[in-house]
Amino acid sequence: MDDGGDVRSLRTESDGVAAHLDGITKVFGKLTALDQVSFTANRGRIQALVGENGAGKTTLMRVLYGALKPEQGAISLHGNEVQLDSAADGISHHIGMVSQHYAIIPELTCLQNLMLGAEPEAWIKQAECISRADELATKMGFSFDWTAKAETLSPSGAQKLEILKLLWRDAEIMILDEPTAMLSPADSDALFGSLRQLADQGAAIIVVTHRLPEVLDYCDHVTVLRGGKLMADKPVSETNAEELAELIIGHGVDAPVLDEFEPGEILLKVASLTVKGERGDEAVQGADLTLRSGEVVGLAGVDGSGQRELFQAILGLLNPVSGSILLCGADAERVSPSKRIEQGLRLIAEDRHAEGVVDDWSLEANASLGLQRLEPLRSGPWIDRKERADFAQQSTDLFAAKHQGIDKPMSSLSGGNQQRFVAARALLLRPKVILAFQPTRGLDIDGAAQVFSQLRKTCRDENAAALVVSFDLDELIEHTDRIVAMSGGRIQSPPPGEEKSRKIIGELMVEAG
Amino acid sequence: MTNDMMQVLMSTVVLSGPLILAALGGLFSERSGVINIALEGKMLGAACTAVFIGAQTGSPLLSLIGALGAAVIIGLIHAVLTQVYNVDHIISGMGLNASILGATTLFAKTLPQLQTDEAAAIFPSSFFWTMAFVLAGAAALYIARTRGGLHLLAVGNDPDKSRQMGLNPVKIRFKSLAVAGLLCGLSGALIASTSGNFVPNMTDGRGYIALAALILGGWRAIPALLACLLFGFFHALELMLQGQPILGVDLPPELWQSLPYAAALIALALFAGHNKAPAGLGRP
Repeated sequence: MDDGGDVRSLRTESDGVAAHLDGITKVFGKLTALDQVSFTANRGRIQALVGENGAGKTTLMRVLYGALKPEQGAISLHGNEVQLDSAADGISHHIGMVSQHYAIIPELTCLQNLMLGAEPEAWIKQAECISRADELATKMGFSFDWTAKAETLSPSGAQKLEILKLLWRDAEIMILDEPTAMLSPADSDALFGSLRQLADQGAAIIVVTHRLPEVLDYCDHVTVLRGGKLMADKPVSETNAEELAELIIGHGVDAPVLDEFEPGEILLKVASLTVKGERGDEAVQGADLTLRSGEVVGLAGVDGSGQRELFQAILGLLNPVSGSILLCGADAERVSPSKRIEQGLRLIAEDRHAEGVVDDWSLEANASLGLQRLEPLRSGPWIDRKERADFAQQSTDLFAAKHQGIDKPMSSLSGGNQQRFVAARALLLRPKVILAFQPTRGLDIDGAAQVFSQLRKTCRDENAAALVVSFDLDELIEHTDRIVAMSGGRIQSPPPGEEKSRKIIGELMVEAG
Repeated sequence: MTNDMMQVLMSTVVLSGPLILAALGGLFSERSGVINIALEGKMLGAACTAVFIGAQTGSPLLSLIGALGAAVIIGLIHAVLTQVYNVDHIISGMGLNASILGATTLFAKTLPQLQTDEAAAIFPSSFFWTMAFVLAGAAALYIARTRGGLHLLAVGNDPDKSRQMGLNPVKIRFKSLAVAGLLCGLSGALIASTSGNFVPNMTDGRGYIALAALILGGWRAIPALLACLLFGFFHALELMLQGQPILGVDLPPELWQSLPYAAALIALALFAGHNKAPAGLGRP
């Protein structure tokens, strides 16, 4: 290994092995999820584990955590070989895992969440527990109102609570799965600051991520998996973004070339829009937004900044309190959702199971879902079955979604292929305004690039416009024409010339009202 | 008049006893995430068993044990149906209520022990309603201050996340339904203790009223206790006013009898809207 002068590699060399996985093979049915993978986590080190969806990252971590038993291979902790039969075994060996969707129950208090499953005694001594909780929080530079309900926590507050949960359980090996998925850039910086502090105190930290800038900026060591095989295991100082990207997907990636275009007529104009959210709060506050034909606009923001309510108002599912929406030149007030679809409004829904497809229906039936009143799918009061079959075929072909026949149920497709289908469906039938909520969810790098490139092509060629919500700012910077930021229900545009500035947009994303 | 008032207050305490015990049973069940409209069935089954064993053995202790046992068994059947076989919670509860109503009505007509005029040996009602108030306090403390209480709240709100934190939701729900059985057993035995005899459908929908009180109390022990007292008060009022002319008009007794139920309905419509059910209620 490199023995360079920088602090990172010194740390890498000087500390002991906390966990070692040797030659792990894990098979699910016919699929070999992990093939002879070895992995080491050292004390005092932040280790990145990267790879595409399905590369085996989470499987490997679940093996380390005890939640999955491998077919082959050995696990040793602090130099001793161990047998982990359940997650409880992992916990008792001081291994802690924070999954991407926080295991925090909003209805319980922060203290209750902190202790859950690891209460010191059957009778809970509130005062003692609070003082220990405060001690841990102070150590990390956090502060919590322990008796407040956890639903009051921001995403970064919830992430901090998850870290304290690890400390409460005396975890020495800490696994964090996509820890920054819900965080703004500033909160992500702070998170890695905390992780560095924990590593300095002797913890072994493993971060599962797909965001390469994070790996390069904050991690000491990186392990790359592809298709269940170990591709690389090296200090971060010995690699770079291009090499990592190539190791992850197996071939080089070129940054997309955003072709020049002249923005045309206004297709969507949202003016001083205020919308009430589920809890009665003003989820969208006086938002202004304009989409012109040809352009793909990114809507950056941390989760819960009002993106959902904005989409629902544009779709006609939520009535605005005030303000106006102009869709394709006409006032959309009191225009029904189905009428808006006829005008060319399309949605790539956030949660495809709840809002995008019916799992038990065939691909064919799902293809026309929501579009059933449009020519040529409609034939008088009926649905034209032949046209619908053609349309379903086009929807699977556009992004080469793998399927076993368009008459098979949607649930027979993998998550990524369902997403391809849903995205294609929104682009194919004369779209004018495309609302896309995390359109690349569950897709690998190639798949994501394809969806975005087709989205741009559709907007340019058919004079449509798209508004794309993503919680990954880097994705928006790479693939959209310009970006606006949403925070606390307000939309702000970066100043001219800074439309793609990571720093400025990052600041706008956290500027609450 | 003051005499009347005293009497109404006394009957309020007495009449709300079965409601409080059943509502606490519902609290344990629903806080753990299991919808429980089978409170009624458990109470009826327990009342029937209490009278049968009390008459057969002459031992109030055995009568009590029998009542608790019967209700716990019904509770565990509900647990097996909903947690192991994933039957819809409402359907399982309806099925249990209907079966128990049928079975106990049949027993009342066929078993000689249930047909005597003599009162069966059952602990006095005062024992049970003292228990009701003591247990309400104990339940509130248990849920707020113990590990078991925290686990109960957690699995009731989010079974998946609880599992991630190393809890076993199915086990916790089985335990909770057993506790719900014990509490409904006490409630049923209390109802049986007032006359010492069993009459078909003698619980008279009070399991549902208890459920309404639980909802009105926002799935919390002490507010649910207060809601039970409120419904008990209307029941007492009904008993006192029934048969008395109001402003010279004789109201039919059926109208008076509907008073506690109407009160429950109106109270729910007015006040229960803001109460939040446990988020994992009915979820596997």
